[in-house]
Amino acid sequence: MSLLTTLIPFDIFKGMKLTGRYFGRNFFSANRKKVKANLKHITVEYPEVPIHLAPRFRGRLQMLRDEQGEIKCICCLACERICPTQVITIEKDRKDGRKLPFPKRYTFEMERCIFCEFCVEACGYDSIILNHQFELAAYNREDFAHGTEGEFQNMFKTTPVGTFSVAGEDDANAPHY
Amino acid sequence: MMTLTQTIVMALIQIIAILAFIFMLVPMLTFAERKVIGYVQVRLGATRIAGGRTGLTGAVNKFMWWMGHFPVISFFRGLPTFMADGIKLVTKEDIMPAKADKFVFWLAPIICMVPAFAVFAAVAFYPGVLGTLPAWVPIVGGLPVNGFMTDINVGLLYILGLASVGVYGIVLGAWASNSKYPLLGGLRSAAQVVSYEVPLTLSLLAPVILTGSLNFRQMSVDLATKMPPLAILPLFIGFFAYITCGFAETNRVPFDLAEAESELVSGFHTEYTGMKFGWFFLSEYTNMIVVSALATAFFLGGHYLLPFGLQSFVPASWGWIAQPHLIFFIGKIGFLLFVFLWVRATLPRYRYDQLMSVGWKYFIPLTLVNLFIAGAVRFMA
Repeated sequence: MSLLTTLIPFDIFKGMKLTGRYFGRNFFSANRKKVKANLKHITVEYPEVPIHLAPRFRGRLQMLRDEQGEIKCICCLACERICPTQVITIEKDRKDGRKLPFPKRYTFEMERCIFCEFCVEACGYDSIILNHQFELAAYNREDFAHGTEGEFQNMFKTTPVGTFSVAGEDDANAPHY
Repeated sequence: MMTLTQTIVMALIQIIAILAFIFMLVPMLTFAERKVIGYVQVRLGATRIAGGRTGLTGAVNKFMWWMGHFPVISFFRGLPTFMADGIKLVTKEDIMPAKADKFVFWLAPIICMVPAFAVFAAVAFYPGVLGTLPAWVPIVGGLPVNGFMTDINVGLLYILGLASVGVYGIVLGAWASNSKYPLLGGLRSAAQVVSYEVPLTLSLLAPVILTGSLNFRQMSVDLATKMPPLAILPLFIGFFAYITCGFAETNRVPFDLAEAESELVSGFHTEYTGMKFGWFFLSEYTNMIVVSALATAFFLGGHYLLPFGLQSFVPASWGWIAQPHLIFFIGKIGFLLFVFLWVRATLPRYRYDQLMSVGWKYFIPLTLVNLFIAGAVRFMA
């Protein structure tokens, strides 16, 4: 038996079988499955297919609203105090029909942000998150100063340029890279 | 009877056809290499070409994106990259080391490449007449075109003789580079090719014994159609011995010690750039085609459907299947070329002493035993 295993390279055939199976699996499947669970390859086709990131991925800071459309933030300044690079500046204000204060101005200077997520951990009201956007490049320095207004610098929305990095609805079921 | 002019023109036509075949197949092979290895490693390989999302490149990329929706067609995304390969090789600057031996440095790629192409003179792509040229063709109109260029009696000897010349190109190029890594690669390659020449030839002697001929066309036809039932044994063993030694002869993974990237930068062609490197590259891939063609003709049934002499059991009355076809030959070559890439994606490189011990202690005895079996089969039949 040992002579036979020496003469016939079983291990090589075993390896060839394994790689051949992987080749066939990719060869006989379409490259771009919309259903991510059936994906046969690990290559991310970047501009065309939205990428599914790990749930813990720390992207850009985003502010949240509650069900009534009110800003969740109550200006406790916890995030501003804990921020190691001091990129958050909040201006407190009050308005009618709202018991708690709301941020008149919430400035987030992303050029210095280190994406440590301390602000989100410090927030006691779950009013900010770090979303899944990683396409954060901009041409002008001013575009990194995010606030509560504007199109590209609006912290309530995801950036329009970063459409490929936004996780979809089926995020929970999808395999993550 | 053809006149001398007609013979020369006919040979030129066949040469151009074969060169076109090689020059088309080699870039396709480089593309296939990327894709096959990518697919094996659960990647996609080349899927798009450089450029924006607009204009010509954008349109090509969009089309290739659409191709990806279909299972087998998606493999051919990124096909235009092989043109980029060629353009890059041709347009790159040609650098020569200051202390290189100029003449030998220039000669080595040619020595490597010319035998690789010249071997095809004795390869029979089809054992008979492929077709007749139409009457309006000047000089050679109305003449039959053979599926082989020459029908020499010692075709196999010619092929083996020329194939072993190729290693001189590697050794000379390595020496002429005047650099230590190419020299080490060249020495390794010399030792490797010289030691694997023996089992390679011995494994090819089994078909020679079985057919009693050295004529390529005669052998490929006889090995498929006139074999006794027991001949499957020496042909089967011989095929694996031959294909393994063929890997070593062509310096392919897992025997690519001549250009071990992790140890010798890139071996014998470290100092070569531009199209001079391109000739080495071309000769390596052409040698792969040669090895595949020989393995196809002598072990896999050549122009017939069934491998290992099994075609002998197919009665001639079966029509299409019993006849030789060019497409079978080309298809089997394609499959063996895929095996080359498949093995490259699977097996790691052998250590140098392992390579030598496999060659001398394993393949030479195996092929000698195989030769004995072939002789016994021939004797009993």
